[in-house]
Amino acid sequence: MAIDKITTPAIADDAVTNAKVSYNNNQFRNIIINGDMSLAQRATSVTGVGNGDNSCHTVDRLSFYEEGGTSGEFTMSQESDVPTGQGFSKSTKLDCTTADASLAAAEVIALEYKFEGQMLQYIKKGTSNAESLTLSFWVKTNKTGTYVANFYDNDNDRHTSQNYTVSSSNTWEKKTITFAPDTSGALTNDNTLALAMYFILGAGTTYTSGSAATAWETFTGNADNWCGGQNVNLLDNTSNEFYITGVQLEAGTSASDFEFLPFDINLRRCQRYFFKLLADRWLYAINSGNTYSRHSIQFPVQMRATPTSTVSYGSTGTGSGVQFENADSVTVYVNGLGASETDVKSGSKFESEL
Amino acid sequence: MINTVTKNYLNGQFINYTMVKNEVSSSVPLDEANSDYQAIQTWIADGGTVIDNPPE
Repeated sequence: MAIDKITTPAIADDAVTNAKVSYNNNQFRNIIINGDMSLAQRATSVTGVGNGDNSCHTVDRLSFYEEGGTSGEFTMSQESDVPTGQGFSKSTKLDCTTADASLAAAEVIALEYKFEGQMLQYIKKGTSNAESLTLSFWVKTNKTGTYVANFYDNDNDRHTSQNYTVSSSNTWEKKTITFAPDTSGALTNDNTLALAMYFILGAGTTYTSGSAATAWETFTGNADNWCGGQNVNLLDNTSNEFYITGVQLEAGTSASDFEFLPFDINLRRCQRYFFKLLADRWLYAINSGNTYSRHSIQFPVQMRATPTSTVSYGSTGTGSGVQFENADSVTVYVNGLGASETDVKSGSKFESEL
Repeated sequence: MINTVTKNYLNGQFINYTMVKNEVSSSVPLDEANSDYQAIQTWIADGGTVIDNPPE
């Protein structure tokens, strides 16, 4: 098109939409933090992940989830095995190390991602203008078959599910799934858990005996639809493994290219939920005689909520712990040191996951 | 799995919990939005007993 043809009549107000330019240029359109699996502040590999281990073990923000007490176990790790030519450098891997060949009815294993309600207000859930959600991701596994990706609305006890198929063994495949909007059940606008998303990796009949709830519905009374269609159990053999990366969730009915964020921005977003000291820090006497030693730690970003503090000390004196704690900072204290000295050890961590 | 929960006092004031979970000891703030605080309340509701030794 000649430049003189680009006139107001040719491009009327609101005529150029994302669909027409085939590019969604909305910054931070990916609702998922660390969807490229690039950050793993806690560890890069953890063994024996199974019964009772529902938490974030390796890659930031992505949790292992189980219920029902499976006897199976995984090694969960951050890996460099990624789809070729897509720009990714890391993936998350689950490697079955102890098999549970037949999951009991109430057992579920999954990868879980949790959302704060205040991060999701623009999807307008619970209103007549509610948005569809489109999930895209890359997956590679030896276990071909039908899997389920689903959501659980923690504020309103509602859920929805979609099936996807892994067709080729040990081959990276991109999957795109669109979830219908939900005009019921508004999400509370605060910093607590509103919505959780799951990549189901195995489930018992309590959750699979129905059919996938492709329209949002009440969970209670319809739990059999939550994982309807899932015919894979990733725990059924110790040769099983599952890789995932490039997870993107965005408002609307189409998937845009993965939104890569600068490393520093991604780190700061992850540190809203987890922060770890990278070096030892001295505690300083705040009174003569050094009966009170203190060190104030300012978090790099305001955390989601006041974090749980897991602190290691050089010496704990006659008493130690944390005080004056909030989402911005915490003061570490050790009492009764006298002529001795102490420090807060690197690796001390502050966690505010959902 | 939570092993024990103890109330912590400083200068006579209840300031937080010490939670031992999977043999790891952590300080849990009195913040209802903290997921470990929520887990402690569920643990108490399910019959768990908090160790409480307030200063005299």
